[in-house]
Amino acid sequence: MSEAAQSTPVADERIKEISALRKALIRPELGGIVGTIAVFTFFLLFAFDSGMFSAQGAMNWSVVSAQFMIIAVGACLLMIAGEFDLSVGSMIGFAGMMIAIFAVTLGWPVWMAIIVTFVLCTAIGAVNGFIVIRTGLPSFIVTLAFLFILRGFTIFLPQVIERKTIIGGIKDVAEGDWLAPIFGGKILGGLFQWMGDAGLIATFTRGSRQGQPVVDGIPMLIIWAIVLIIFGHILLTKTKFGNWIFAAGGDAEAARNSGVPVNKVKVLMFMFTAFCATVFAVCQVMEFGSAGADRGLLKEFEAIIAVVIGGALLTGGYGSVLGAALGALIFGVVQQGLFFAGVESSLFRVFLGIILLGAVILNTYIRRIITGER
Amino acid sequence: MISFVKTLAMASVAAVPMAAATTAVAEGEKYILVSHAPDSDSWWNTIKNGIALAGEQMNVEVEYRNPPTGDLADMARIIEQAAASGPNGIITTLADPDILSGPIQSAIDSGVDVIIMNTGSPDIARELGALMYVGQPEYDAGYAAGLRAKGDGIGSFLCVNHYIVQPSSSERCQGFADGLGIDLGTQMIDAGQDPSEIKNRVLAYLSANPDTDAVLTLGPVSADPTLLALEENGMAGDIYFGTFDLGGEIVKGIKDGTIEWGIDQQPFLQAYLPVVVMTNYHRYGVLPGNNINSGPGFVTADGLTKIEEFAGEYR
Amino acid sequence: MSSDKTPIIKMQNIEKHFGSVIALAGVSVDVFPGECHCLLGDNGAGKSTFIKTMSGVHKPTHGEILFEGKEMHFADPRDAISAGIATVHQHLAMIPLMSVSRNFFMGNEPVKSVGPLKLFDHDHANTVTMDEMRKMGINLRGPDQAVGTLSGGERQTVAIARAVYFGAKVLILDEPTSALGVRQTANVLATIDKVRKQGIAVVFITHNVRHAMAVGDRFTVLNRGKTLGTAQRGEITPEELQDLMAGGQELVQLEGSLGGTV
Repeated sequence: MSEAAQSTPVADERIKEISALRKALIRPELGGIVGTIAVFTFFLLFAFDSGMFSAQGAMNWSVVSAQFMIIAVGACLLMIAGEFDLSVGSMIGFAGMMIAIFAVTLGWPVWMAIIVTFVLCTAIGAVNGFIVIRTGLPSFIVTLAFLFILRGFTIFLPQVIERKTIIGGIKDVAEGDWLAPIFGGKILGGLFQWMGDAGLIATFTRGSRQGQPVVDGIPMLIIWAIVLIIFGHILLTKTKFGNWIFAAGGDAEAARNSGVPVNKVKVLMFMFTAFCATVFAVCQVMEFGSAGADRGLLKEFEAIIAVVIGGALLTGGYGSVLGAALGALIFGVVQQGLFFAGVESSLFRVFLGIILLGAVILNTYIRRIITGER
Repeated sequence: MISFVKTLAMASVAAVPMAAATTAVAEGEKYILVSHAPDSDSWWNTIKNGIALAGEQMNVEVEYRNPPTGDLADMARIIEQAAASGPNGIITTLADPDILSGPIQSAIDSGVDVIIMNTGSPDIARELGALMYVGQPEYDAGYAAGLRAKGDGIGSFLCVNHYIVQPSSSERCQGFADGLGIDLGTQMIDAGQDPSEIKNRVLAYLSANPDTDAVLTLGPVSADPTLLALEENGMAGDIYFGTFDLGGEIVKGIKDGTIEWGIDQQPFLQAYLPVVVMTNYHRYGVLPGNNINSGPGFVTADGLTKIEEFAGEYR
Repeated sequence: MSSDKTPIIKMQNIEKHFGSVIALAGVSVDVFPGECHCLLGDNGAGKSTFIKTMSGVHKPTHGEILFEGKEMHFADPRDAISAGIATVHQHLAMIPLMSVSRNFFMGNEPVKSVGPLKLFDHDHANTVTMDEMRKMGINLRGPDQAVGTLSGGERQTVAIARAVYFGAKVLILDEPTSALGVRQTANVLATIDKVRKQGIAVVFITHNVRHAMAVGDRFTVLNRGKTLGTAQRGEITPEELQDLMAGGQELVQLEGSLGGTV
């Protein structure tokens, strides 16, 4: 590598030619882009006429992917900042349960329940962060503790208060609320009705909704995913703070020496991860109208898997929000698509494992190129 | 990059023959059974065998789907997905109406026939416009068991709940308590799904409350470790032991007298009958006029031969 | 060369105690603008403690620090950095996975306003990085080249160029050549020379006498937390410096048997 600096201009040209290819290779999104193309090619070939690419089918895998994306954006930025959060799944369950308890049991207005839940959950994220910073313990241990603590409360609280583990009736109390539709609503209903009328998408053939399109709008869940991806991408690549995120995860000590407020960055990223988990939870609760103690199980791993498929390094300091979003898309499309392709659903994990392994091997290879390790 | 593409290519090559092998393509009808059970719940094996046998006998394509972790929100997505793949019918459990009513309603409205099985109730099935409900009303089953236990002189019990987040599990315990005419209170424990944890929690509860009259377990997941716990603390055969559902160990327990009775909801029928009913409905337009109660039936030490033979497979 | 100017930084009778351990027992050093002041000493001699005191990481137990003639009390390293004292650490303040340009501006990112947003000005950062690196004699493939692909010497040079660009008046180099090969060491020493000629005071910490002799204007030897005096270039031979560092005769005897190669 050092030859580049010291060689003559003629030799420089040769190096530059190689670097064009290498430059393309070291983009963290690369794995995600290649994987997305491969996955879609596969399913277009094997599941094209199975309903997977009908309006209903496409909306199904889009919603599942958007769910992964929302938590992957938070997990991605946190992982680039050099930390993990294993409490994401429990946070989803906890946040949903808190909204249900506030809005249904305590009878608060739904907007207030949502806002208080956001404040509470990001505060718990901050506590996660402070404990990691103050104790210097590995974040996966600290957040593993919160995985249990939050899940425990999510089961305990509704049992004590309502004597059951699922609290429903949120749809009724959310009727007419101004904030609830921002999480649980749908947009572009008119466009889909028009498409249904024009015969572009299927319509219900019976029941009270006869004649209405089977997909009646884009859920706010998808809008949230897009907004969070754009926000995360700009924050990471285009701002001063983004540089600090890379620096904090690349080498916290070196970053501190250069005047980067590493602790602040890490705590804020823990809070952002908790925020994303809460967005996930609120969208889910508002869509389904109930909160259950089992919501979000294992979602923390799904988020981390999406991020890793998207090209981020587990060791921190390298990754991309767009890559993580593509990773989430791959994850969602594979999970839902294998069913359409007629593959036994229990084999989903085999595929997931293969993709994960492939992605990690690719990432390691990329890191070697970047750091010049042999 | 190369390795990644290669991996995917290999995966796809591997997937094609498996795809062909696992779905028996037949006369065109396709039925999908969606359950709420996590992968770890072995009780659902009977259900899988039930639909597989029905698919074979009726010559239709059947598929079993479940959320791997038992997350009901994931289950809602699976129902939506099942509907999008355009099957002739969906057989689904209805563990939580708040979450699942919407997707089930959409499936029905888009022209897919639905039968509610296992969890749910005849009322909600009618409300949604499903063809029928096949299963055992959980609260009623618990209540009947409670009455029976009360007749046997039971005044207190321990309910070992291995699936606390599922409302119908708690209903079984609640029904049992109401049948006994006592308050459930703290007599229901959240046992978790891990056998050794369940065993230790049962041991802990019984050593803290040694005068407990009875133990109620909700299926093989909690019954098998509870049997071990009772053997360990010497209460086996002494304490009054009733359980929901059957399984290999439970049948042995009933046979040697450790378990008084098992409530058999006959899951085989819950999976088998909907496929038969729907196939005939779609082929000949015939449909039974009522819901089907597959249980409860109390299984005691008398007449265990058939059950023993097929326990865990079809019983 | 230095007698006609005032020292930019003057450390007087610095003592530093860690509990019962006396790490520095009254060290006095002054550094003039445009000179390369070599601080020599064996491992454990107190070099690290001394420069950490100079860069604001430690507060001296006794003694005073005069910076540009005024007494200074640094609360933390940021105070020292904003006053113009920059340290290039032995374990570099460089992040291998990040690009040269991102590293160069780490903690000092330039921003431009786009509507209501304040964004990282990548164009400015890239241009400046390429220019500054060219001045130091390093031709990068591009500003987005990762630092990990640079050699150890080049990384040192990036770190030095960064400190200089952000207005360092005193540059503390903590063993910059200790892990480098011959050729890369030469590059770093050449960089030190360039920096010195810009009028910046360089404090060069090393235990390698040859490297010190190559660029040093003055030499201070630390031994067991004490200074054994400061010598001008030309007043002292490499052998004498080596003896002072070892603090006795043992090494001389050893050196004899090694044929003067240490």
